[in-house]
Amino acid sequence: MNLSEGVQIVSFVVLAALTLCAALGVVLLEEIVYSAFLLGAVFIGISGLFILLNADFVAAAQILIYVGAVNVLILFAIMLVNKREPFAPSRNLWIRRSATAVVCLGIFALLGTMVIATPWAIAPSPGPVDTVLKIGIHFFSDYLLPFELASVLLLMAMVGAIILARRDFIPEVTIPGATSEPLALPERPRELPSERVGS
Amino acid sequence: MFTLSGYEYFLGFLLLAGAVPLLALTASKLLRSPGGGPERRTTYESGMEPIGGAWIQFNIRYYMFALVFVVFDVETVFLYPWAVAFNQLGLLAFIEALIFIAILTVALVYAWRKGALEWS
Repeated sequence: MNLSEGVQIVSFVVLAALTLCAALGVVLLEEIVYSAFLLGAVFIGISGLFILLNADFVAAAQILIYVGAVNVLILFAIMLVNKREPFAPSRNLWIRRSATAVVCLGIFALLGTMVIATPWAIAPSPGPVDTVLKIGIHFFSDYLLPFELASVLLLMAMVGAIILARRDFIPEVTIPGATSEPLALPERPRELPSERVGS
Repeated sequence: MFTLSGYEYFLGFLLLAGAVPLLALTASKLLRSPGGGPERRTTYESGMEPIGGAWIQFNIRYYMFALVFVVFDVETVFLYPWAVAFNQLGLLAFIEALIFIAILTVALVYAWRKGALEWS
């Protein structure tokens, strides 16, 4: 049993509308927390589009990684620096806005021409049913090196993130006359038991 | 062309799950008595008094846990196809997956040594 053609078209329209509206909300909303939550809606809509393209494993990975991990990380980063400050309105705002609009329209035109100009290879026959099995076999035959390099990349990401988050390398220098109040984070890097023993 | 099977149940569950909060909120809006004082607008009605705002600065320790979670989340996604295709793959793939896990164990040991997994 399969979804009928009409159901697929309706699902596509609903998912595309959800994705586009949420993406517009991400850009246009003033409150940055709402933008972060709407980014999760964008990711969920894109994973639905992946399911419609027969890529069920990619859809599950999209939800697991992007909604479950990356979006949570973005939310934590926002909540970490969620300081309400009365920003002064910047002068000549229209110059910045028009420059941003020109750059964004340029990127949109570039991507649009690329989408139209690319000769997409559309398979005449339906794709493989066991997508996860196919991906697993490809991982260990012709895509072995990227698979192993992914673990090295994850190791590097982990080490870099821990070093950045612990901020051990930031020197404890106070400039006389300058108040450290606005720059101070609410959290001090904590003393580690191993360091206390070692030093 | 959509060829995956079994997704009509998924769509049914999705519609049903979307209808539940909608129906619950509509029903309570229709059934509740009008009015209510300023207590109705508190966070926990007839519960605890909330102190301060809801949007506070998070502790940076949550961020560390989220970072470690991202790395192992991606690792799980990479290992899942290996587990599914385990019978088709030979001993070599098993050793390669062990190398993959070993490299990420180094990351885990590093995080452990640096105290990223502790709360204290």
